[in-house]
Amino acid sequence: MTQSFDPTRLEIFKNLFHSVAEEMGAALRRVAFSPNIKERRDYSCAVFNAAGDVLAMGDHMPVHLGSMPMSVQAAVQALRLDPGDVAVLNDPYEGGTHLPDLTMVMPVYFRGARAPMFYVANRAHHADIGGSQAGSMGLAREVFQEGLRIPPVKIFRKGRVVKDVLALILRNVRTPREREGDLTSQIAACRIGERRLAEMVGKYGRREVETYERHLLDYSARTMRAMLRKIPDGTYRGEDFLDGDGIEPHRLRIAVAIRKRGTRVEVDFTGSAPQCAGSVNAVEAITWSAVFYVFRCLLDEQVPATSGLMRPVRVNAPAGTIVNARPPAAVAGGNVETSQRIVDTLFRALARAVPDRIPAASQGTMNNLTFGGADPRHAPRLRSGQGGAPFAYYETIAGGMGARPGLDGLSGIHTHMTNSLNSPVEVLEHAYPLRVRRYGLRRGSGGRGRWRGGDGVVREIELLADAQVGLLCDRRATAPYGLSGGAPGAKGKNELVVNGKRKRLAAKCSFYAPAGAVVRVETPGGGGLGSLARAPMLSTGGLWVKKISPGRRLESRQSRN
Amino acid sequence: MFAHNALRRRICQDWQPAIQSSLLYNPAAMRLAIDTGGTFTDCVFVRDGQLEILKVSSTPQNPALAIRDALAEILKEANGSLDVTCGTTVGTNALLERRGGRVALVTTAGFEDVIEIGRQARPRLYDLFVTRPEPLVPREWRIGAEERVAADGKTLVPLAPGETARIVRRMVRLRPGAVAVCFLFSYANPEHERAMARALRRAGFVVSVSHEILPEFREFERTATTVINAYLAPVMSRYLAEIESHAARAAGKRAKAQVRIMQSNGGIVSARVASREPVRTILSGPAGGILGAQYVAQLAGFEQIISFDMGGTSTDVALLEGERRTTNESIVADLPVAVPMLDIHTVGAGGGSLARFDRAGALRVGPESAGADPGPICYGRGEQPTVTDAHVVLGRIPPGGLLGGAFQLDEARARRLMEKARGKMRSVEAFAQGILDVANATMEKAIRVISVERGYDPRDYTLVAFGGAGALHGCELATALRMSRVLVPKFPGALSALGILRADVVKDVSLTVRLAVERAADATRELRKQFAHIESRGLREMRGEGFSPRLVRIERMLDMRYVGQAYELTVAAEGDFVGAFHRAHERRYGYADPGRAVEAVNVRARLTGATPKPELPKSRRAGANPRAALVEPRPVMIARRRARTAIYDRARLRAGNRFAGPAVVVEYSATTFVPPGWRGRVDAYENMILETK
Repeated sequence: MTQSFDPTRLEIFKNLFHSVAEEMGAALRRVAFSPNIKERRDYSCAVFNAAGDVLAMGDHMPVHLGSMPMSVQAAVQALRLDPGDVAVLNDPYEGGTHLPDLTMVMPVYFRGARAPMFYVANRAHHADIGGSQAGSMGLAREVFQEGLRIPPVKIFRKGRVVKDVLALILRNVRTPREREGDLTSQIAACRIGERRLAEMVGKYGRREVETYERHLLDYSARTMRAMLRKIPDGTYRGEDFLDGDGIEPHRLRIAVAIRKRGTRVEVDFTGSAPQCAGSVNAVEAITWSAVFYVFRCLLDEQVPATSGLMRPVRVNAPAGTIVNARPPAAVAGGNVETSQRIVDTLFRALARAVPDRIPAASQGTMNNLTFGGADPRHAPRLRSGQGGAPFAYYETIAGGMGARPGLDGLSGIHTHMTNSLNSPVEVLEHAYPLRVRRYGLRRGSGGRGRWRGGDGVVREIELLADAQVGLLCDRRATAPYGLSGGAPGAKGKNELVVNGKRKRLAAKCSFYAPAGAVVRVETPGGGGLGSLARAPMLSTGGLWVKKISPGRRLESRQSRN
Repeated sequence: MFAHNALRRRICQDWQPAIQSSLLYNPAAMRLAIDTGGTFTDCVFVRDGQLEILKVSSTPQNPALAIRDALAEILKEANGSLDVTCGTTVGTNALLERRGGRVALVTTAGFEDVIEIGRQARPRLYDLFVTRPEPLVPREWRIGAEERVAADGKTLVPLAPGETARIVRRMVRLRPGAVAVCFLFSYANPEHERAMARALRRAGFVVSVSHEILPEFREFERTATTVINAYLAPVMSRYLAEIESHAARAAGKRAKAQVRIMQSNGGIVSARVASREPVRTILSGPAGGILGAQYVAQLAGFEQIISFDMGGTSTDVALLEGERRTTNESIVADLPVAVPMLDIHTVGAGGGSLARFDRAGALRVGPESAGADPGPICYGRGEQPTVTDAHVVLGRIPPGGLLGGAFQLDEARARRLMEKARGKMRSVEAFAQGILDVANATMEKAIRVISVERGYDPRDYTLVAFGGAGALHGCELATALRMSRVLVPKFPGALSALGILRADVVKDVSLTVRLAVERAADATRELRKQFAHIESRGLREMRGEGFSPRLVRIERMLDMRYVGQAYELTVAAEGDFVGAFHRAHERRYGYADPGRAVEAVNVRARLTGATPKPELPKSRRAGANPRAALVEPRPVMIARRRARTAIYDRARLRAGNRFAGPAVVVEYSATTFVPPGWRGRVDAYENMILETK
């Protein structure tokens, strides 16, 4: 491994590429219209080289970031992207993840070159993309029911919006004005990325920039290899379960074997459940994202998050399983729920290899909640006919973080594959016919242990108008596991209160409820770590490593319930 | 590190007091501004028509001690009336070190945990061991009140007298140092908060109420801001009382002392108001720097500037365009502070930042700092290379040292230890250059955040470089950002104190109204009512500061957005403000949509009472030749080659002098590096203006 680069330049280029991604994100957030993007920040931006390798990602949503290279690949394969073109796509089977996530890809040409020198891309979660249910996150048996499916098409051609494509999209969604604002902001973010990259090449020269792209990717790969070297060689297995798909009554297995030799690692999902009838199927891009996230977490936070990191990592996700679903499986929940469970499974396996660095399970769900209907406070639109202006609202609810070796888990926080913000009560109630009755921590829901799991959240939302409600949650039947003798976190719970009567709701369901009904969600706590009885553990050094020898499934006892 | 010595310089003469503008400004009083920094406490004051500077060592354990010493030093010859304005870091430090008071919080029942959950996101994505700050109020001290107001201000659940009484009884048992009250939608209807606060105050508690501190929507940010205010109140009132007593003692028995405090919004208020609303003083020190930078830039004829204040451990940058910009989205010590503060971006890179190689071979600089103790290698005790050591090795800080020779630098030691630490770098010089390049990259990124990321092109701006290390980096940073002009003010080390001395009394008031406006004319009546409402509150406060309404200037602003958007742009509330909003949106984000409905979210008013301001005098123009200021030339490493470089003594440079890079300008509290390709001139106010093509 020769160090033929200038360490200073490397650091500078790392910062430059990263700031391009961050600037795109800042623009997207500022210009967007929906609370989902602006208040909750459910979006991501990244910069790619000509080969489609990630050079930098903004510090946005983990579930987006690992899977964006597939979007770029899909767009490039399907279309000839000329200067000033922007492709849009959301098809989970062609570069997307689930339908509400719309991704835009723009090529960046340098001074009349014939091929692009970079691509920039961003992805944003739209609060509605049509389909059978407001919010486009409901139960479905086929991807066709989940909303509008967009293969890579140009939404921006030679610097101008392609009006037919935009019109087609807007006609298929419940809140077109908001969607239009958000789509415009995504295009604006691409153009900002394009401009900044062009400036950079103008300043440093094409050759220099391309040289350091390579060094940056190599550097990331080297960092990952250095980390892998410190994990003992061996095969580490883990398994965990999703509660179910909301249709069939049985739980769904995710299994992984991590085979680590020297500076290479293979992550094999053989043994995971076949793809299911409901919507918790993950496409391969999601599984890839989850693997990327887990290995990224083992590295220092400062390491540049480029594609180079994944060079030493091979992923095997058998086609036709819930970790690599094939069409026409429904996939809305794969992105938000299955992705979390894949992470839980991977960490469980890695806990056998490096127990002093791995946390117990976090809440393992995003508790997706959607509301849709007509808002009686606003005048009806011409076409909607009745009751007021249509609205669609989507949110995810935080929960408990798993205990860490040496630290309690945090309470009421988003973990692993998401980091979206909540909508302030004072924004939510102003914008939608909803009222928040209670928003607080669910005390005592974190798993006990030497280190405690974080507590989940209780959130109660009252409908002020009749509405369609969707819940897509997990960890209602299987609890987030504890590790090394720590207790599991409390399972989550969904309830509907109508006229003072409480009714238990399924983990995944959708229904119509009258004004006055209250949806109450209790989110899971994080798992505990270390048994209470045991003497204080050391979070560093070999002592703790010896306590769990590979094969002794200390933690599996807590997870079955 | 430094001996406790006072260093004094006269910097100008012929100061004429401005017209008396306020009842409380005593024309006979001596005016002083004091800026407390990490290393030095800087004082700028006017005596006998002359502006003077005094620097004393800071006393971080109790910053008031340094102020006491400074006052004693300044007034040892004669007592007399005093008018003291302080920039303080007491608030920031109390937050950073969690040394505030014991606070209890009253919230709407069911929302006691809002302050703990925050926005439910973690600060770092891939850090499994991430932590977040403990809430300033522990769970047992957050009390829910049975009450509820709707989004439109209607009362859903009235706050019963029995409920307020119950909460007061709880508080009597808890005995908190201060109480914060924040109910949902109190900006739309503050009745419940008012009743609760009244009952608590009657029982003798110090109360911070959310609709008084910040009547704006977003409950977490409002609650956090109100709680911070309550948290700082005991610390700040103690500190200010101490300063007031030192000032009174310095003024003597027969004279009066008035103490004012710099706020984060760039204006000053009386110590009494600052004790009540300490959350408004959190960025007090850096705010003074911005005012100072703006002032010297105006003298030099530049409206559009980026201020670059680089100290030992951190660097503050801000963009100014005629007006100073404020933001309501600041984060201090990981906590949101939503009152208006000057839009200042801080990064952890300064002269004392440590350099090291990480495992994969990349060179990193900061955010860890050698601080004042042990300090950089060249100060004699540090072991790890810092940015300052890099400058010394490259010859950019001549070994004659800092503070006019009062402080010697050990170049040989820096070279020896850096040789050991240089890893695979070719030479010590290459290593030193690398450290500077990485530090510059960090600062370049900081400037991009406040400019490019917000839609401003740095090329249209002049970089005002100050602070101990600002002028060493200014030109190279400007080159990287393609900026063509750098201004190094006359006294880079005391610019913040000068800014504070020139600050006006400012009161910001605001209210969330959320009003749909189609055309400006239609909404004018309703808005006028809302403005009158908030302004009457502001004018009351200004009277307390000694300004009758006719002496107060009022600026009206509106936070506006397209209906459905979730963030706002602030525009002046005059004329066709709807059109102004479309234009501002176009400029900031590249597009506008005149067909889309617009709403006014917040009304804001800024009330300003002008204070008398010292002006820097113009100097007589000398010739272009700077020969008189030349000292012994020295070799300086420039672009990997050692070149004999002109060294100028700033104290002997005269207005009208011109010189060309490469050059180094040394002065008492700072050093300026002028690279090849840059030319310098000294303007009539003795600012150095450095330019390149």
